[in-house]
Parts: sequence; C-alpha cells; structure tokens
Amino acid sequence: MQIFPRSLNYLPLVAAVGVALLGGGVTFGIWYYFSPKNTQLGYAPEQPVPYSHKLHVGELGIDCRYCHANIERSQEAMVPPTQACMGCHAVVKKESPKLAALRASWTSGNPVEWVRVHRLADYVYFDHSVHLAAGVGCVSCHGRIDQMDVVRQDQPLNMGWCLECHRDPAPNLRPKDQITNMTWTPTPDEAATLAQSTLKGPEQCSGCHR
Amino acid sequence: MLGVPPMSTEKTPLNSGRVIWRSLEEKEDPSRLQAEACGSDVVKQHVGPQELFQLNRRKFMTLSGSIATLAGVEGCIRRPVENILPYTDMPEYVNPGVPSHYASVLNVAGEAVGILGTSREGRPTKLEGNPDHPTSRGATNLWVQSSILDLYDPERLQAPTTGGARSDFAAFDKFFSDKLNALRAKAGAGLYILTQPSNSPTYLRMRQLVVDKLPLSRIAVYSPAPQSAAREGARLALGAPAHAVYDFSRAKVVLALDSDFLGTEPGSVLANRQYSTARDMESSAGSPNRLYSVEPTLSITGSNADHRLRLPAQDVARYARALAAELAATGVELGQVAGAVRGSSVEGIPEPWIKAVARDLVKNRGQSLIVVGPRQPPALHALAHSLNRALGNSGVTVTYTEPVDAQEPENFDSLKNLVAVIEAGRVDTLLILGGNPAYDAPADLKFGDALKKIPTSIHFTSHLDETGSLTTWQVPRAHDLESWGDQQSTRGDYSVQQPLIAPLWGGRTDAEVLALVAGEPNWRAYNLVQGTVEKRGFRGELAWRRLLHTGIADTRFGAVLGTAPLRDAEIAAAVQKIGTGGPLTENTFEAVFTLDNKLYDGRYANNTWLLELPDPITRITWDNAALFAPSTAKKLGIANGDLVRITRGDVSVDIVAWLQPGVAAQSIILPLGWGRTAAGKNGNNKGFNVYPLRTLASPHFITGVTVAKLDKKYPISQTQDHDSMEGRPLAVDATLAEYKDTPNFPEYKTPDPAFGPLWKMPDYSQGEQWGMTIDLNVCTGCNTCAVACQAENNVPVVGKIEVARGREMHWLRIDRYYLGEDADEPEVAFQPIACQHCETAPCENVCPVAATAHSPEGLNDIAYNRCIGTRYCMNNCPYKVRRFNFLNFNEDVPETRQMQFNPSVTVRFRGVIEKCSYCVQRIEHAKIKARTEGRVRIRDGEVVSACAQACPTGAITFGNINDPNAVVTKARNRDRNYGLLAEIGTRPRTRFLGKIRNPNPELKTVKA
Repeated sequence: MQIFPRSLNYLPLVAAVGVALLGGGVTFGIWYYFSPKNTQLGYAPEQPVPYSHKLHVGELGIDCRYCHANIERSQEAMVPPTQACMGCHAVVKKESPKLAALRASWTSGNPVEWVRVHRLADYVYFDHSVHLAAGVGCVSCHGRIDQMDVVRQDQPLNMGWCLECHRDPAPNLRPKDQITNMTWTPTPDEAATLAQSTLKGPEQCSGCHR
Repeated sequence: MLGVPPMSTEKTPLNSGRVIWRSLEEKEDPSRLQAEACGSDVVKQHVGPQELFQLNRRKFMTLSGSIATLAGVEGCIRRPVENILPYTDMPEYVNPGVPSHYASVLNVAGEAVGILGTSREGRPTKLEGNPDHPTSRGATNLWVQSSILDLYDPERLQAPTTGGARSDFAAFDKFFSDKLNALRAKAGAGLYILTQPSNSPTYLRMRQLVVDKLPLSRIAVYSPAPQSAAREGARLALGAPAHAVYDFSRAKVVLALDSDFLGTEPGSVLANRQYSTARDMESSAGSPNRLYSVEPTLSITGSNADHRLRLPAQDVARYARALAAELAATGVELGQVAGAVRGSSVEGIPEPWIKAVARDLVKNRGQSLIVVGPRQPPALHALAHSLNRALGNSGVTVTYTEPVDAQEPENFDSLKNLVAVIEAGRVDTLLILGGNPAYDAPADLKFGDALKKIPTSIHFTSHLDETGSLTTWQVPRAHDLESWGDQQSTRGDYSVQQPLIAPLWGGRTDAEVLALVAGEPNWRAYNLVQGTVEKRGFRGELAWRRLLHTGIADTRFGAVLGTAPLRDAEIAAAVQKIGTGGPLTENTFEAVFTLDNKLYDGRYANNTWLLELPDPITRITWDNAALFAPSTAKKLGIANGDLVRITRGDVSVDIVAWLQPGVAAQSIILPLGWGRTAAGKNGNNKGFNVYPLRTLASPHFITGVTVAKLDKKYPISQTQDHDSMEGRPLAVDATLAEYKDTPNFPEYKTPDPAFGPLWKMPDYSQGEQWGMTIDLNVCTGCNTCAVACQAENNVPVVGKIEVARGREMHWLRIDRYYLGEDADEPEVAFQPIACQHCETAPCENVCPVAATAHSPEGLNDIAYNRCIGTRYCMNNCPYKVRRFNFLNFNEDVPETRQMQFNPSVTVRFRGVIEKCSYCVQRIEHAKIKARTEGRVRIRDGEVVSACAQACPTGAITFGNINDPNAVVTKARNRDRNYGLLAEIGTRPRTRFLGKIRNPNPELKTVKA
C-alpha cells in the first residue's frame, strides 16, 4: 500500500540541496554582514559636542598631538580634557551655541561624554606609543581625519587587518617626523629605504592578547 | 594500575629509601590515593562537596529549566555605545594608561616595610617592595600584597554610624568637638584612649601632645599580638626597653626557640632576605647556614630547619636552660647566669640536642644567633641575650636599638588596668583607635561587657566589627594606603607614608584623631607629618620631595645601644623561675595559641585572597583547625575533620581537629583570628574562634586543657591532595655532603630527556627568550608569590565549596611535601609551581581551536577569547597548572573591588582556561618601553614577574635566558639545576635548583 506519492522520492535530494543552499546562504550572510567590514566600517556616531576635525585639523592645521597628547607615551591616545578645548574656546567663539555642552562641562566639572568610534574588544590590548615608535602614521589606521566633519571609522580594525600589517609593515611605515602628516607620500628614495625595513609586528597571541 | 609506578621507595644512591608523602592518608595507603585519582585530577575530599552544597542533579535540571525561560533573548547584535570620559581639568604629569609609582611604607606585623605602590589614574592596583628601603629591599610578604584588597573592601565602614543608624562626618565632628571641649575643661579627666602599639613618630608625637594638653587623660596600649615579652626581656637584660635587631645574613648557625622569624614575626621580610643570603650556596661560598628549631607547632621557620625538636611551648624554657648549662660547662662565660640555669629537668629532651647544638654554637662563635619567639616569657628572651653576648654574637648578628616608642606600657597590664577603671566607673569617654579588643582581648577580662558600661565610646575602625557593635559611635578609619603618616623601623630607618588614593570614605588616621583630641588647629595628617619631618631636620620643599620620592630618609634615627654589660644578676634571678617544671604527663595537654599564618590575629578576616590561600603548612582554606600530633590524635581516636571540644576550666571551644605532622605530642595548636562574627560577609563564621580560651595569665599557651571528641564532623576544604603527583620525587633535595659528592644530584632523579623533540623546533637562540629559575634552597614556603600573582593577574577567588571540588584558581601554588617514615617528625620541602612554559608543551597540540600557542620568545600564550573550554589542555598538562573558570567568578563584582583589577590583564569570564603567563603584560610593557626609547634589547632586570618581584628571599629569578649575564641564566646554569619531570620531554623553561639540607652529623636526621 503506497501512502507516499512517487514524487516524494526527490524529497531527500531537494531537502539536501535546500539545506545546503540555505546553510550556505545563512553562513555567507553572517560572514559578510557580521564581519567588521560591515558592522564597524563607516561607524560615525553623533558626538555630544559637534567637534569638526575638518575645521580644526584640516583648515586650522592643529597637529594631532596637541589634543591627543599621549600617543607617543602611552597605550591610549587620550581624548583631550575639556581644559584643552577651553584653552582656545574661553576666548574664541565663547558664546557659540554649538559649544554649550563644552562650557557646561567646564563649569560643572563633569566630563564631556564622547562616543568612542574606534572600538576594540576588551581582550585586545592595543598600544599607540609602540606603533608610533615603529613609524606607523595616524592616517594608516584612522584615515583622512582632516577631511571628516564627524569622525568615522575608516578601517575595519579586525584582527586579520591588523595581522596583514604586522606581517608586512613596510607599506605603512614612514619617517617619524611625518607621522601626523595626513598627506605624506614617500619619495622614491624614501620608499626604497622603507621597503627594506625588516621590522615586523608581533604575530604571536601574547603580542596583543594578555 | 595503568602502569603508573607506586611511590618511590627504591634505594638508589641518593634516595636511601626516603619516603615522600603529601598527606597522612597518602602515606598510609598510597594505592588508595592513586585509585581515587585515576583518570581525573581531582581527589575527593574528606567530606564530599555534595555535603557542603545540597544540589543534586534533579534539582539542577529543574532550576536550569526555569532560568532558561526567564533569561529570554539577551540584547541585540550591535555592541552598545561606549563612552570615553576624559578629565575636565587634567592634573599635571598624569599620563592616562601609564602607571605611576609612589613610595610609601606600611606597618606589617609590627615592622615598617617600605613599598612602591603602582597607581593607575589615581588608584593603586599593586604593591611592591621599595628596593631602596632596607627592611624590604624590593620584597614584600603576604600581608603587604593583600593589603591592597583590604583598601577596596566594599564592606568597609563608609560613614560614621551611631545607634545603628548611618550619620555623617559633619554630625560626628560636631559631637566630637563638643565632647572634647567638655573634657578639656576637666583637663581630660574621664577620657581614656585605647590604642595599638605604633612605630610612627608622628603618631607618638601626637600622643605625647595629648598627654601634655590633657594631663588627666589616660592612654592604654593593647595588641593581641604583642611584642611585650621581647621588650620586657630586653629591659631585664639591658636595663631599658630595646629592640633586638637581627642580622641573619651573618649567622652560620641559628637556633630558633619557638620563633617563627621567617613567618609571622615582625621583620620577616628582611629576615627572609638575610636568611637566604646565608643559605644560598653562592652567596655563602658553598657553606650554607644551619637552622635549628625548637617549637611546639610546625611553623614556616620550623619547616625550613635542618633540625627540628618538637617540644611543648612550656618546655622550650627547660631546653634553653639545659643548653645554657651545657654551654657554661664547656667554658662559655655566662657569669651569674651559669648558676641560675643549672638544675632544670632534661626529661624528654634528647641528649644530642643539648650537646651537639652547644658544640655547634661554640664552634661558630660570633657567627651564631639565638632567637626567641614572642610566646616565650621575658626571662627566656633575657637568657637568649645573655647567651648571644657570651657567644660573641652581640654587635655581629644581633644589635640593640632604642625602641621607637620607649614609653609603651606592658601590653596586657595596660588593658587590664583599663578594664579595672571601666568597672570602677571612672571612664566617661573611651576612644578606641583601630583594633578589635571586644573580639581578641583575653577572655577573662570580659572587655565586651565592660565596653557596654561606658557612656560614650567611639571606635575608629575600618569595618563595623565586634568592637564597633558595642560602642556608641563607629567612625571610618583610614587605611594605611590612604593615609599620610610615617614609620620608623626597628633599625631606625625613617620613611614617610604617603597615600596612594584619597580616603575612599573620608576616614581618619590615628594621628589625626589624637591631634583633634589635643586641640591642634592643623590636625590633618599631612600637616602633622610635615611637622615631624621638619623637626627631624628635613627642611624645605626639596628635602620633603626627596623623602617622598625615595621613600627612605638618608639618615637613621634611634640610638644604637652600645655593648654595655648585661645585668647578670637580674637575668639570673628571672631565669631561675622559668622552665622549672617537668615534662607534661601523657594525659595533660597544652594549648598553644599561634598567630595564623594568613589572618594573623584576625585583622585580615575579610580578605578573600588570604582566606582562600591554602595555609602554607596545613593547606587548609577558608578555615582554621586545632592541630594535633598524629600519634596523639590516634591515641585520642581523633581523625581529620572530627569536631573536638577544648576546655579550659569552665570555658570550652568547639573546633575541628586536624592531624598535623610535626606538632609536639602533648600540644594542641590553636590558630587565632578565625571564627569572627562581624568581619564582613566573606569572613563571618569561617573557622573557629579560639580567643575565648585565652586568659590574661596564659595568653600564649595554657597547660592543662582537656580534649573531648564530639560526635560530629566538619567539612574542610584543603588543597593538600589536589594535583597529586603520584609520589614522584619532585622537590629534589640533598644533604650538603651528598651535594659535595654529586653536585648535579637532581639529574639522577629527573634527567633531561635523552631523545630529541618530536617535531622541528623554532630557533630559540635569537632574540629574547624568557625563562625562570626557582631556587628551592632559599624558598621558605611563605606563599607571598602566590598572592602577588593573584594581585597582578586578576585571579579570582572561588570559595570553599569550589576549592573542595579542586577548582581553586591560584596560578602559582606552593606544594608542600613531607619526607620521612615518621609521621610525627617529618622533613618538609616546598616547591612553587606555575606554568612551566614548556618548549614542547603537551597542552598546545591538543587545543582544538589553537587558543594556546607558543610565542617565538618561548612563552606559552593563551588567548582567552579563543578558548571554548574543552579543557583538553588542562587534562594534558603533566604539572596540572592550568585553571578553568568553571563558574563566572567575576559576577557582580562591587565597584570598589573593580578598582583593584589590573587593567593590563583580561578579567576572565566563565568557560576559559587561564594559567601563569610569565607576566606577559610586564614583558610587553617592557618591550613597548624599549621600542619607544629607540632600543630593541631589553635590559636584564627591566622585566620582573610579579612572583619574582615579591619573593623576599630572591628564590625566583626571571629574565632573558639568551643573555649570559642575566641573573636567571647564571642561576639556571648552576650544577644543581633540573627541570620538573624533565625526563618526559616537555623541556620546561622554568628550572629548579635542588634544595640543600645542612644537617649536623651528630644529630639524627630523617635520612639516617
């Protein structure tokens, strides 16, 4: 007594193909849409004070280190204290409504609650000072900050991306005095010297994971 | 069974049939232990964890089902917004992310220890020794390392409280100043202040000011761990109170009479350092010192002794008299004392112990040292001074200095007088500065009851403890790490104590309270200390800054008392009265009160690191126990874990019994400091309170207590049998004679593998290769390294139940082995074990996700984020040094506790393996610092692991083994080096140096 029609003979085959396609699709979807290139790249959150790097760095020419003073000394680049801003803005544009939150911070003593753009996981220990000592420029990881009104994450900052450079840093190196120069390109001589660098970043786990 | 060899009893030239065991159960029935441990690395405890925690499988399934439904879907996919909160007004010289170091000083167990505090953005996270400070020389001990946790204890008193209700400093200050004004009108009549002994010149200056300004007030001084016997003994001998300052580095023979100078006694950090200088084969030029120990309990000092005589505490005086009589008979000039020491009974004391020890002391005149512990009567201390002088040790191994507090009254008398005055109704106001007398005062004083009679009592305290519950006001007391103050060591080294953080809850220091009482307008401790510093001749800003920067003054204070003749007549008169009895009869027991190796007198009772640290000798966690000699316990029918009742007169205490090899036959050892009821939620009801047995007349040992076995058992969590190594000889040792005969003796027991590695090895001859050497000869087993590692690496605390399951998380453990056939007279060996960072690590190739890999510099790395918790690596490790987070031990961590976490090290979640990383965060910091300074090489000494830095003896050295001049390389190339279980081919980077015992051929040893 046949209760199943003959057409159902193809069911296992269809199911297998369907599962494979679905599985593959879901896997691909997760792999692509959940990868840092998609979830992190381009992250440009709104900040409590509408600070424009394009104005201050691009047009006014303030060096990165004026505000992010610790990059050569510490693991953190250090977002500047309100005091650094008030150094100018106690005089310049001191009534501007855009700076209301900044003035409130200065008078109340409460910090400005900046939103972190370049987020690394807690188990990653990244150190700015050693990258600067090696000769990696700010623009290599942070992109053209001097053209951003709102800071945007320019690179995926995932482990694979970091390892690419650690394995072959030469394309990203520059002379130490050009580190904060966003528009530096090497002369052929400089390029040749840098290409010969045998410097390598740590490739073992403990280099970044402690 | 499975081809595992039984405990090694084969007679080889270097084994001589010595039996090695870790617990009495293992000794009696080694196969039972192997059977239980078969296939797992957890050995069942005496009482199973099921009994501790009533949750069986069925209940678990029910619970987990309901939890799952309640949990719901957690959060969404995108990570939440993370804020950066910078300073508004940044202090100068602050580099966020770069730790700063401040020199300060702590008073630990009665002695000043110089420290360097590592501070991150204004909060201290780790304490190290100050290399410039003579009493620390860069090292620390258990209590220094764990005091950082006490600073952040969330259960500290957070505001003044009165009448059970929280108040504030404004209200308290008003109340206090009104009260003081009223008292000042009467010149202080009715005001009593109960304080603790202090070595702080500023504090003492304030105390004097109070006495001057309020002449009718009275100050009492009390500590449950007094050094009054030593002071009184020195006063007897020298005519004035004095500190005896020892120099163990110049002593070839040390006789410790009930003295734990390497453990709980003041000055132990420096004592460890000096002792190890004389012990180390290199610094002693091949002739190490010899330590004799006569004591009732197995202390850390006793476990390091070359010869140990176990005598009840009351018989130590008898032994000392007999020894002195022998010395006098062999010609040592003792004056009148010679006559006084004759005639004491030598029953129960083996003759070689008198004759051979006397000969050894005489042979090493001028290079020997006799030390007496604080439990022994003053007359014995005086006798030791006399003997030291007669043997020519005065001025060499022992010198005398003027005490910092020359006017400190006799400890127990002071408290007794105070209680008498309270009972007479003459106390109107009592201030208690720190301490916990309601808990630890001698029971017959009934201090707690007396407290209730006082109309106004104010307890300045860190926690709302047993004393605070009985006073009218409780006021937060500043922790040492948040106070301005100063300390002068017994040697005269003066340091300013500077706070590493502002008082978390506005606490007051003792000196500030006294200044307020005296009516000082500038009563803040900062001003008081500056006053003292100026008076001492350090004038001006530069001098002040230099003092703060180096942490030690460049001049010494406190007179060194010269070699005036000792007061023979007084010493003789006192000595005649001690040691007059005979030995204890078979059914008479003596109870000996010991300061706990971890909790001291109970002040650290809420410190989870110390609670969970396995006791260095008993390996018990979270509890104390009454220690019995195994033979005595057998006679009484007591087994491990039985509850017993110890009775003195009409007072009895129920306590769990523990069989401790090495305890004197008629002695019962009662560790103080446990069983607290108001310590905080970690420390409450842990262990058993033995203070009720302590009386004024016998605060150190009581003769004539009775023991009754109760019909109940008590679960004990201890790590003694955890990670058992199945009897293989691991802490390798040899006598001096054997060493001279075969300098590379460990190689015969654990030879380096004869075969090459199974796979192609990386080239380890280039660059930095990290390694460690642990010298077992100088390791005294103090366990400081274990706590330092816990502090540095955010190692969690798991609690008593999890320890019973074998899940303790200490990355570094100190294994303690007993050696010998006689369960009552063991020799002891210590071995610190952490990850050996094997070059061919068995753990690395079994990880299915490659979470643990080998770095090119020789480290065995672990990436916590990659670990999925299969625990295959933990299984495969032959040393059993990997720890798994079975539960989320960092759940709901209070905010202040979070402040202690080292931000350079991940705080691990449930489900990941962790282990010693050779302090990779320190290595990486050093590499980063080198590269930012433009160099590639790291200098020797720039990277020191936390354990190596904390070790007071310098047993652990760490560094680059490719550097032939590095300390670690020189250490590991010594002849007695070996790798742990080297023959199995793991090629560990940590090498050990075998222990050398220096027995006196005339005295019986375990090996004979």
